Amino acid sequence: MPRYDMFLVLKSMQRPETAATLRRIVENLFEHGAMVRSMENLGERRLPYAISKHGSRHKHGGYFAIDFYSSPTILKNVLDNLERDIDVLRPTIVKNNTERPPKQCHGVHEKDPWKIN
Amino acid sequence: MLRALSKSHAAAVRILAPRAAVLVETVRGRKSRFDPKAKSKADRIKVPSYSNAKDMFRLNVRFSEYQLLVRAIRFMFTEKRKKRKYEEEKGTLAEERVRKEKEEHRALMAWNDAENLKQRIIREERLKKITEAKELKLREEVLLHQKEQEIYIKEKEMLILQLQEEVKNFITQQNLDERIEEALNNPKSYNYAIDKTGQITKRTAFQ
Repeated sequence: MPRYDMFLVLKSMQRPETAATLRRIVENLFEHGAMVRSMENLGERRLPYAISKHGSRHKHGGYFAIDFYSSPTILKNVLDNLERDIDVLRPTIVKNNTERPPKQCHGVHEKDPWKIN
Repeated sequence: MLRALSKSHAAAVRILAPRAAVLVETVRGRKSRFDPKAKSKADRIKVPSYSNAKDMFRLNVRFSEYQLLVRAIRFMFTEKRKKRKYEEEKGTLAEERVRKEKEEHRALMAWNDAENLKQRIIREERLKKITEAKELKLREEVLLHQKEQEIYIKEKEMLILQLQEEVKNFITQQNLDERIEEALNNPKSYNYAIDKTGQITKRTAFQ
């Protein structure tokens, strides 16, 4: 299964509410059959610009990152749910390519595709 | 004389084809029997040709002699010619020739076969070398491929083992709460500063 990173900007709330939101999101992922690898808190900080979402304007938010494995077919659904969630200001799902080794650089001279060896 | 000839001709034709509807008259000239004499021929006196019995006799004798000679010579020549032709085709010389030709042909064919055999040997050697080289190369390639496959499989197995280890740390329904608490307690920052000497500072002003 491919590996994805979900980066969330949550509304700045009290701790139990944030916990509840995160719990809700992860359970949603479990429902769709994902395997959650880890969760990281990147801090509650001032947003670089004001974000208007779900009828209100926010200047602070909590940044979270969730690492998970899942089938690519569920991503649309998950993203839809996150967009509808009023506590989530900005959901992003991105592919994680760290497990693949980087391609070897052959330099400026490319390999001749018609040459054997 | 011509007329006589023509008459006899006509008679002959009649005899040959008595029942023919159309009689073919082989008469020369345009005039018929009843046409008048031509003006240019009005003074013509018909003179019989020269004939002398003695001369005729002598001529006949000489002519017959002459004819005899000429015939003899002609026959001699034709005989020679026919003989030569026969010699060419079926005489002893011809046999010799035929035999020689056959011999030559056989010799040439034998030489040709020998050459072919030689070439064949050379060609087969060459082909054998080529096929051997190909087989060797193929075997080497197969070995190489196998080795590569083994390496690949080993790598993947390593990855699998690694993943199996990491699975123990995944978030599940049971440890979800704990993990959330843990995450909320430990905010992580990936920010760092680096200067021209390459020194990295991980502690930054945190908002």
